[in-house]
Amino acid sequence: MSASSLRLSSAPSDPALLTLTEVAAAIAARRVSSREATQACLARIERAQPRLNAFLSIEAETALAAADAADAALARGAAAGPLHGVPLAHKDMYYDAGHVTTCGSKIRGDWVAPTTATALQRLKDAGTVRLGALHMVEFAYGPTGHNPHFGPARNAWNPDHVTGGSSSGSGTAVAARLTYAALGSDTGGSIRLPAHFCGVSGLKTTVGRISRAGAMPLSQTLDTVGPLARTVEDCALLLGLMAGADPADPTALGGPVPDYLAATRAPLAGRTIGIPQSFYVDDLDPDVAAAFDAAIATLERAGARIVPVVLPDQARLSAASTLILVAEAAAHHAHWLKARPEEYGAQVRARLENGFAIPAVTYLEALGWRGPALAAHLDAVAGLDAVLAPGAPMPAPTIAETDLGGAPDAEAMIQRLTRFTRPVNYLGLPAVSVPAGFTAAGLPVGLQLIGRPFEEAVLLSIGAAFQRETDFHTRLPEAP
Amino acid sequence: MTSFPPPAVPTPDAVAATARTAGLDLPPAAAARIAAAVAPAFAAFAPVSGTLPFDLEPATFLTVQMRELAK
Repeated sequence: MSASSLRLSSAPSDPALLTLTEVAAAIAARRVSSREATQACLARIERAQPRLNAFLSIEAETALAAADAADAALARGAAAGPLHGVPLAHKDMYYDAGHVTTCGSKIRGDWVAPTTATALQRLKDAGTVRLGALHMVEFAYGPTGHNPHFGPARNAWNPDHVTGGSSSGSGTAVAARLTYAALGSDTGGSIRLPAHFCGVSGLKTTVGRISRAGAMPLSQTLDTVGPLARTVEDCALLLGLMAGADPADPTALGGPVPDYLAATRAPLAGRTIGIPQSFYVDDLDPDVAAAFDAAIATLERAGARIVPVVLPDQARLSAASTLILVAEAAAHHAHWLKARPEEYGAQVRARLENGFAIPAVTYLEALGWRGPALAAHLDAVAGLDAVLAPGAPMPAPTIAETDLGGAPDAEAMIQRLTRFTRPVNYLGLPAVSVPAGFTAAGLPVGLQLIGRPFEEAVLLSIGAAFQRETDFHTRLPEAP
Repeated sequence: MTSFPPPAVPTPDAVAATARTAGLDLPPAAAARIAAAVAPAFAAFAPVSGTLPFDLEPATFLTVQMRELAK
């Protein structure tokens, strides 16, 4: 643990240091007002923004006005929902009618969204207050947090290091306690990488679990909506509010939404967790390997049964994922690539152009293999509740090391970053990320619990049990 | 008779030709860069290419997903 990091006390005096579930309960019980919570976040944002670049827009006046309205409504007995008066900010790719939604780009720098994303609308309906919009990689197409238009987001644990991306602002803002939670998106690891590098919890949902209507598209096959938050319990609360059928997105699953919060209180005993014997344990930095081993021991001590598992070729899954991602991303951007190519950052434009090299037959084969590959995976994990794996093979590299415009080994390092995340996207599986340790230099590292389709509740249960046994999620960087 | 060699990593010329059919003219340097960038994915996926069964139901992924949900 870094000498400069702090452990959160059980009753922090700064309301910004409460968890999402805690502040929601405190506001509902009128122990904390929405204005107090919002002011506390805004004060931290004001101090942190010059150092972290976590926000693309900060909307202090309208946030405080909305907080006052929430307090007045509560005084009248008119609570909107479970997150009444809770201030939040999200990755700037969730359309919010009437608000500029940049998608981290110059092309959409002044674009005003005509509709509101279903996931965001459901959080608004639950009573949340908008703090502003969070930094992201241009069009969510990159794993580090670099952005040529807005500058890089910086890691709350050490601003010389990347946040991970593409939900860069979500990761560092939650870590620095600037927002209680944040929406991210995960197409190739964009929730799990910032969670790993910033020491926060994250949930990559099953494809189909949360509506994607009104969320900026990158790859219609692989895109998923999910939260980053301080605890697994907070992720469960948010998932429960956002999940469910949506006429605007026919791919969103209907039927009853499980009680995810209740799942976080379930015991660990009786759960079986698989430990991969290759790929996810190859080429790990020593600090990541140590955290992984310690987590296995913790889970076993807490009652889980730990067993080895041999998974199908993960590199092949990752390759198939890449073929789909680059082709679909190129198709989404084809018009702008032809009409406004100079408005893209050089790296994102180069990545998008890669998609034009994929023949239709190869793309369709990569799509078609998804079903047999998922069936093979499910056979391999039969009898398991989850597979445990590191979120990435290394802690956060520096911003300079991953600058494609300067560092000679940057491309190789960037490829290594996403090694452990893309197979999960290809198979459309859910995964919960949890902080699992710190390097000697004070950088966080995390783990991912990978589950079966639509079994988020099982993963949340295991993740919450892990957080009952550890305190990594309660540590926070130096005050901004 | 047309022959079908094993799937290969695309060359810069092939990349340029494929991109041209999509309406994007690539300079040779860009085509070479793209060929290098996508080569690892093509190589890793090559064992699958050309092996999918003729009758593979296009919605198999959803079928497998839903089978899990029904459990």
